[in-house]
Amino acid sequence: MFKDLDPILHSQLRLAVMSLLISVKEAEFTFIKEKTNATAGNLSVQIQKLKEAGYIDVVKQFRDNYPQTTCRITRQGIRAFDDYVQNLQSYLGKQG
Amino acid sequence: MHPEKKLTERESLELITQMINKAKDACHSTGLAAIMWGLIIAFCSLVRLAEIQYWFKLPFDIYLLTLLAIIPQVYLSVREKRKAKVKAYGDEFIDYLWLGFGICIFLLIFITQAVFTAWKPAGEEYQLLAGHPASFQFYEFSASFFLLLYGLPTFVSGISMKFRPMIWGGLLCWVSCLAAIYTPVKADLLLTALSSVFAWFIPGMIMEKRYQKAKKELAAQHV
Repeated sequence: MFKDLDPILHSQLRLAVMSLLISVKEAEFTFIKEKTNATAGNLSVQIQKLKEAGYIDVVKQFRDNYPQTTCRITRQGIRAFDDYVQNLQSYLGKQG
Repeated sequence: MHPEKKLTERESLELITQMINKAKDACHSTGLAAIMWGLIIAFCSLVRLAEIQYWFKLPFDIYLLTLLAIIPQVYLSVREKRKAKVKAYGDEFIDYLWLGFGICIFLLIFITQAVFTAWKPAGEEYQLLAGHPASFQFYEFSASFFLLLYGLPTFVSGISMKFRPMIWGGLLCWVSCLAAIYTPVKADLLLTALSSVFAWFIPGMIMEKRYQKAKKELAAQHV
């Protein structure tokens, strides 16, 4: 039996953000924007969705008078990502 | 990248792999601090060797340069932290490892000075009575203690970063540590200079090259 893929993660930009954050302790918004080639507006909306799902923590602060947004994956996010990858692998295993 | 674009399962896995690799590529440290320390330790050792070889003495202890080097080290660390847009999991561990190493080095300098000072009168008394210097001279062994310490954070950092030049550099420090027990002081100083070049200077150059390459690639993506 296949589980449905998590709809929060099964979208291009949100999955890209989560894949970046799973590999590092924390990353700035500008870094995620550079790596995903997304626009700031699109990225903000998707980050907010991931935050509302409890998958990431977002910290907003000021550094040298500039706003700085830092994101890090939560335990719940790690579990969700892990489940998502396992489900993907079982789908692909069945197809292959 | 489309925010709501649905992906096939294969596309999803490819995207995950691609993004994980991108994150890994971004976690390059500059090699400037390693280059600086490699050069300073090699320079200090070679100057001390020259002092012994050519019978001259500088008006100050050349190893005081290592104290001065703390200033650029702090500057480089702060600058690197400020510029970093991403923090890797091992960063904090490596920072504290090297901080602990720095503290151990200064404690070891203090300990060796204390032992040397305590031993000196006994050595002088022996020479007076026996007519020749004692066969045991503490300074003959001090390089081994330092090389022992040099090897530890170098080797562990190399393992932690999966960076072979540092692993080999750390191992070379330990081989030199063993060799320095049996070699005269001049050879100990050469071994120390050689070890610092291989443990820090060369790995630092490689790290800096990789960092500059990654920076250029990132800049090229945003032309």
